[in-house]
Amino acid sequence: MNPLPPVEVEPHPWRGLAWLTRRECHRVLKLWKQTILAPVISSLLFIVVFGLSLGNSISEVNGFDYSVFIVPGLIAMAMAQSAYSNNSSTIFQARNDRYLDDILSAPMSARQVHLGYLAGGAMRSLIIGVVLTALALPLTGAPLERPFELIVAVFLTVAGFGALGIIVGIYAQSWDNQSFINNIVILPLIFLGGVFYSVNRLGSPWEQISHLNPLFYVVEAMRYGFLGAADVSPWLSLGVVGAITVALLAWAQFLFSTGHRLKP
Amino acid sequence: MEQTVTSPTGERAARPPSALSIRGLTKRYADGTLALEDLDLEIPAGSFFGLLGPNGAGKTTLIGAVCNLIRLSGGEISVFGQPGNGMAARRMIGIAEQEPNLDKFLTVYETLLYHGGYYGMDGQEASERAEQMIDAFDLRAKRDVEAPKLSGGMRRRLLLARALLHRPRLVILDEPTAGVDLELRHELWTYIRGLHQQGTTILLTTHYLEEAEALCDEIALISDGHIVARDTAEGLKRTHGADSLEQVYLKTVAGGRIAMDKLEEVE
Repeated sequence: MNPLPPVEVEPHPWRGLAWLTRRECHRVLKLWKQTILAPVISSLLFIVVFGLSLGNSISEVNGFDYSVFIVPGLIAMAMAQSAYSNNSSTIFQARNDRYLDDILSAPMSARQVHLGYLAGGAMRSLIIGVVLTALALPLTGAPLERPFELIVAVFLTVAGFGALGIIVGIYAQSWDNQSFINNIVILPLIFLGGVFYSVNRLGSPWEQISHLNPLFYVVEAMRYGFLGAADVSPWLSLGVVGAITVALLAWAQFLFSTGHRLKP
Repeated sequence: MEQTVTSPTGERAARPPSALSIRGLTKRYADGTLALEDLDLEIPAGSFFGLLGPNGAGKTTLIGAVCNLIRLSGGEISVFGQPGNGMAARRMIGIAEQEPNLDKFLTVYETLLYHGGYYGMDGQEASERAEQMIDAFDLRAKRDVEAPKLSGGMRRRLLLARALLHRPRLVILDEPTAGVDLELRHELWTYIRGLHQQGTTILLTTHYLEEAEALCDEIALISDGHIVARDTAEGLKRTHGADSLEQVYLKTVAGGRIAMDKLEEVE
């Protein structure tokens, strides 16, 4: 072993963020069967089984074939879950194995670390969204009516669920904690948010109760982007999703800035 | 942030800032444990400084505080005159922690490459430096092996290579030779000595007293969150009327005082 002398390094201030982003994307691509292929296949199965098979026995919903109607909600569900589960597992793993220390002691600001971790979930979620869209649209004939609104809805969904994943990854004490949030909170709320049905068809009080479900607005915002029609105004959906996303991003940023739960 | 000193002739001259300056450092954990209490410590630039103390004395907490890994309850830290929580200070510190904390998704080369990136290097520079460190630490045969598949000794080499990759001016080694075989321990000693001779300031914690005596210019003993003694190894022995550093250790640190009393009772 030959010692190498110390030398002053003058780094670019944002280079650390670029490398952390690259590391997170590296992890997603390295585990691509688990991070990308599995959620794409399970969402496609939903589309094939529910849409194309059962859809023949279900009449139109809000003027759309059933197979077309469920596509936006299923894509929203896959993207939201992947952004969440990616970030919660990567943060929890880094905390658990303590290689997070290498990030926390590096010359990166709290905002850079936050953005770097958000990026991995965002990339995974976007790949899944693009692949599902590319496969489901020709398969079902679903349209893409409002691309601008769809991009805004996707951005907010990915950022919001990515931030939620970071928060849960920071608070989690075990792997069970994070899967509990996914299986007991996110998944049921998305199903109850009208992925497979129009909430307007529910009787009172279930229709009103469904409007209290924040995930309903995620599904509605995405549905408006694809189909150009939804049960509620797109601005209400985007407004609710946007407000929740901002709150979750602020919470995650607070955790990185203060070190709360990250540092003893 | 240079300090001024007055010479015997009355002339005021600039003195380079300490490598590490700690003032009134206090850390109380959420469960109420007071790990460090109003601790002051000054480590001159270019020194090889040993920090000795029993488990739970506060060594790892102190290191965590310096490396931005714990939240301070009070006090101030500066590194070569820069605020301890600032980017400039963090850039100048390299740490090899006691427990191997390697990213399980990365190979040896990727571990080093990404670390260089986190510390602001561009791709080419980080890659070249990673290859240099792989050669320097005899990791070439394991270059493309993921961290969980490495032996304990190889992980220890990789931890040190990672700590030194961004060319830090202050290197903190938290029990770097714990659990490594004799051959590697001597190899690491030689490397660390060479690093020190080239101007790097070293802060070493270890349970091996002979290691501290052989390597360090100066040694501080920490007990219950306080520095209880500080001098050269010879100075400590002289001050405490001891024949060995082990006796000094037993006389000064809290748990050790009890052990020394018992030893004297037996004798």
